[in-house]
Amino acid sequence: MTATTGATDTAPVFDRIEELVPGDRAVAVRNIPNTLTFFDTHFPRHPILPGVLLLESMAALAKAAAGGERAWRLESVRAVRFKHFVGPGDQVRITAEVTKTTEQTTEVRATARVGDRVVATARTLTLAAADRAGKDTA
Amino acid sequence: MRFHLIDRIETCAPNERITARKVTSVDETYWQSTGDGPAMPFGLALEALCQAATWLIMISTDHRLRAALLAVGEATSLRPVQPGEVLHMEARIESMNEDAAVLDGTVTVDGEKVLEVSGLLCALIDAERLDDPANTRRMAHQLQGGGPVG
Repeated sequence: MTATTGATDTAPVFDRIEELVPGDRAVAVRNIPNTLTFFDTHFPRHPILPGVLLLESMAALAKAAAGGERAWRLESVRAVRFKHFVGPGDQVRITAEVTKTTEQTTEVRATARVGDRVVATARTLTLAAADRAGKDTA
Repeated sequence: MRFHLIDRIETCAPNERITARKVTSVDETYWQSTGDGPAMPFGLALEALCQAATWLIMISTDHRLRAALLAVGEATSLRPVQPGEVLHMEARIESMNEDAAVLDGTVTVDGEKVLEVSGLLCALIDAERLDDPANTRRMAHQLQGGGPVG
């Protein structure tokens, strides 16, 4: 699988997808260049990748790992830990592993590393099939 | 994008709670495509609440400390946020010392809860490491409805 383009600062795409087993796991690399515009404000004296954007990257990869032809929506996150700051020049390797599936939801565990160091973990990302919300509210 | 997810601070009770507002616009660059049209990323709705929390910490400590996100116990999105909607954040300090704070909070649109967050654990770090406290003081003044500063 090739890298996708068309990213904005906050819509994470990956520079390299290293592994993708739909329904099971995915591994991808996202580079963090100094040109990203949010570094101007986050923060003026010390550029740091906002943790929530790392969480968005995890969610995007979780959707790829959940796989299939379905559209998924991130419904909830539980036990997310940010252990080290990520900044300009870092290459973040994210792993997403499916831990539980039901007909309408998929749960995924995710880990982000820079080199050998774990920088963030999410014990549970719960994805809901996007068609479910439509049924519930119809 | 400028990573400023708060447009107004509506009320602030130092060391207790804050309410704040963000207007969204189709002009903003973060919208994600979904089958039901553009939606605000989950992480940015969460960030709006986190930024309300950090304003509460900064105002409570006269801009000496600010919050850095360490952990999220649980955050649940109840429905997507669409362009043009106005987010109302409420963050409450559940516990706080010199090193860390734990907050809970919600984001609502027109009185409808769209995001619920519990166990937001923040490290409290020297604010001047990240930004000039004079700048954050000026911005807090503006967000609270103040005019241009001297």
